[in-house]
Amino acid sequence: MTQPIDESIYTAVTVAIQAEAQRILSEGLVTAVVGYASARRKGSTQPIVITDAALAEKLIFTPACVNNLAVYLTKAKKEIPKTGRIGIVVKGCDLKALVGLMGESQLKREDLYLIGVPCIGVLGSIIQPDTAFTSDSIAPKCRECDAHLPLGCDFVPSQQPITPELEKKYAAEIDRLEAMTPAERWAYWKEQFSKCIKCYACRQVCPFCFCEQCLCDRNKPQMVETTPRPAGNFAWHIVRAMHLTGRCAGCAECERACPMDIPLNLLNRKMAKELKDLYEYEAGFEVNAKGPLTMFTEKDDQSFIK
Amino acid sequence: MKTYISEQNLNTLLDTLIAEGKRVVAPRMNAGTPLYEPLASADELVTDQLPKRSGKEAFFPLCEDIMSYEKEGQKVSITDIDPARFPETVLVGVRSCDAAAIPVLDAVFSWDYKDEFFLERRKKTTVVGLACTMADDACFCTAVGLSPAETRGSDLFLTPVEGGGYSCETCSEKGEALVKSYTALFAEACSSKALPLAEPQTEKIDLQKVKGWLDNHFEDPAWDSIATRCVGCGACAFVCPVCHCFDIVDEGTEKSGKRRKNWDACGFWKFTHHASGHNPRDQQPKRYRNRIMHKFKYYDDKFGETLCTGCGRCIRLCPVGIDIAGIVEEISKK
Ligand code: SF4
Ligand code: SF4
Ligand code: SF4
Ligand code: SF4
Repeated sequence: MTQPIDESIYTAVTVAIQAEAQRILSEGLVTAVVGYASARRKGSTQPIVITDAALAEKLIFTPACVNNLAVYLTKAKKEIPKTGRIGIVVKGCDLKALVGLMGESQLKREDLYLIGVPCIGVLGSIIQPDTAFTSDSIAPKCRECDAHLPLGCDFVPSQQPITPELEKKYAAEIDRLEAMTPAERWAYWKEQFSKCIKCYACRQVCPFCFCEQCLCDRNKPQMVETTPRPAGNFAWHIVRAMHLTGRCAGCAECERACPMDIPLNLLNRKMAKELKDLYEYEAGFEVNAKGPLTMFTEKDDQSFIK
Repeated sequence: MKTYISEQNLNTLLDTLIAEGKRVVAPRMNAGTPLYEPLASADELVTDQLPKRSGKEAFFPLCEDIMSYEKEGQKVSITDIDPARFPETVLVGVRSCDAAAIPVLDAVFSWDYKDEFFLERRKKTTVVGLACTMADDACFCTAVGLSPAETRGSDLFLTPVEGGGYSCETCSEKGEALVKSYTALFAEACSSKALPLAEPQTEKIDLQKVKGWLDNHFEDPAWDSIATRCVGCGACAFVCPVCHCFDIVDEGTEKSGKRRKNWDACGFWKFTHHASGHNPRDQQPKRYRNRIMHKFKYYDDKFGETLCTGCGRCIRLCPVGIDIAGIVEEISKK
C-alpha cells in the first residue's frame, strides 16, 4: 500500500542551509558552495555552484535533490575551481562518497566545509519531478539507508529525520537473482545490457569514475569494444562493477541517471555484499587509504591457491 | 484523403506486414523500457508511452557494421555491407515530434555527402505517424512551431478517435500505396470525433530572437552558469530524435574485424579530443554551448530551421536537470 512520507522537515532544513551558506560565504570561510536550486519544471531541481553570499537564498532541499554533488569536487570536473575551501550540501550517502575520495587522496577534509542534510530520503526518479513523495516513489537506496544523519559534518540543521520502516528492495532483488541458475542470471543481465546505449551517464555522475581517461574510451589500443553491442556492453559493465567494488557506497546515482532503466546499483550492492561476507568491509564509513581489494592480510581467503 | 482503421485492423495490418517479411518497427517494451524496436507480433505494440529513445534508429541505428575485413598472410580482403539488402520497413506509431525529426535528418544525410546507409533505409521505410494525446511539462513541440497533430515526416498519419480506432490521413505516395495495398482493412471515411490532443504548456519561443542572440554570443558568461553542472554524458544526444553525430571505429583482431558506425555526442570530452592531445572544447560549458549552437544556430544557418522538435526527452533524462526549453526561452528574452 502506498503511504505518503512526511517531508515537512525539509522546509526548515532549506532555511538552515541558506543561512549557513550565506554565513560561510560572507565570512569568507569558503570560496563557493555546491548545493541544489529549483528549476523551471514544477518540483524540479538542479545542482548549483554559488560564490556570492547574496545568492544563498537560491539553495533548497526537497525530495527532488537527488544528485550526489560529490562528483563536482573530483578532478573530472575541471570547471569547478578547486581553490580554497569549498562548501557542499551532502546527504549521508553522498558523504560516504566524499569519505571514499578522501581515502583515495582525491580530497582533503580541511578543504571542505560539509553542510549535512538530516535526510528522510529522496525520489528514485526525477523524470517527472512533480511526484508525490511516498513509500512507492522513494529511492530504493533510501529504503535501506543507514546514514539518515550524516556524521562528522561542519554543520547539520537540527531537525531530526524520522523515517518509516520500508521493505529492503535491493536485498530482496539480490536474493531473487542469487536463487537463479547461472544461465537464468546471464539471460537477465543480457536483456538488461541489451538496452545500454553507452551514453556513459552512469560513469559521468559517479564520484568514483574520476579517471582522466576511462579504459573504456581508449582506442589505441582498444581495451573494450566502444560500440554499444553485446560484447562491449558486457565488458563495460563488468569493468564498471569491478572498478567500483570496495569503493562504491551506494549513492545509486548511476542507476538513477541511466536513461535506459538498467538496475546498475544492483550490481554494486551485490559486490558490496560479497565484500562484507569475505572481508567484513563496508565502504564509506572511515577514511581508509586501502580497501580490501588493494591490500593483503593473512585472514584473506587463500583456498584458491592450490 | 481521410480513412479509418480500427485497432483490430491495425493489428491485422501489422501482423500481415510481419508475415510478409517486412520489418515493422514500433514502440514496444524491452525489459521494462519503451523503445522503438522491430515487433515480433502486433500484440507488442505500445501506444500509451513515449519511447525513451526516438524513432531515428530505424534509419540511423545505434551501431551498424559498414564493412568487414579479413587478413590471411599478406592478403587482405574487404567486404562492403550492401545496403540493397536492408529490409523493407514500416515504422509505426511514431509521435509527431519523432516523425517531424525525419525530414530534419534527411537534410543532413543527403547534403554534401550522401550517406547510403541512412538514405537506403529511409527509401525503404514507410512512416506511420501517431497524433499525440499526452504531454507533460517537458514537452514543448508547440514552442518550436510544431504540434501534437503535426503530420510532417509521416506518410500515413493516425489520429485516435472516440470509440476506438484511428482516423488516417495519407500524407504521401508511400502512405497512399500502403492504404491501397491493404485497402480491405481501411474504412472509407471516418465519422467519429478525434480524441482531445495533448496541449503542451510551454509558450511559443521566438526562435529568430534566439538565433540572433546566439549569432553574437559565442563568448558569454551565461554558458558557465548554464552548463558548469553538465557532467558530459551522451544521454541528451542519444535520446534526441534529431542529433545525428556518429563515430567510426574498427573492432576486431589483426586477422579479421569490422568497421562500425555508432552514435556519438558533443557532450563527450573525447568528441573533440585531437590526436595531438589538444582539446579545443576543453571544458564542459564549451561542449554544452555547441549543443545549443548546433540546434538553434548552425543547423539553421545551413538548412533554415531548428534542430529540435521539442520532444522533451533530453529534459526528462538529463541526470543533472539541464532544461533546454528553459534555456532557450531565457535566451529569447535577452
Ligand atoms: S557506482 Fe553508482 S552507486 Fe556507486 S558511487 Fe558510483 S554512482 Fe554511486
Ligand atoms: S547510463 Fe545506462 S545506457 Fe548509459 S552507459 Fe550507463 S548503463 Fe548504458
Ligand atoms: S534537443 Fe531535446 S527536446 Fe529537442 S528534439 Fe532533441 S531531445 Fe527533444
Ligand atoms: S546536458 Fe545533461 S544529458 Fe546532456 S551531456 Fe550534460 S549532463 Fe549529460
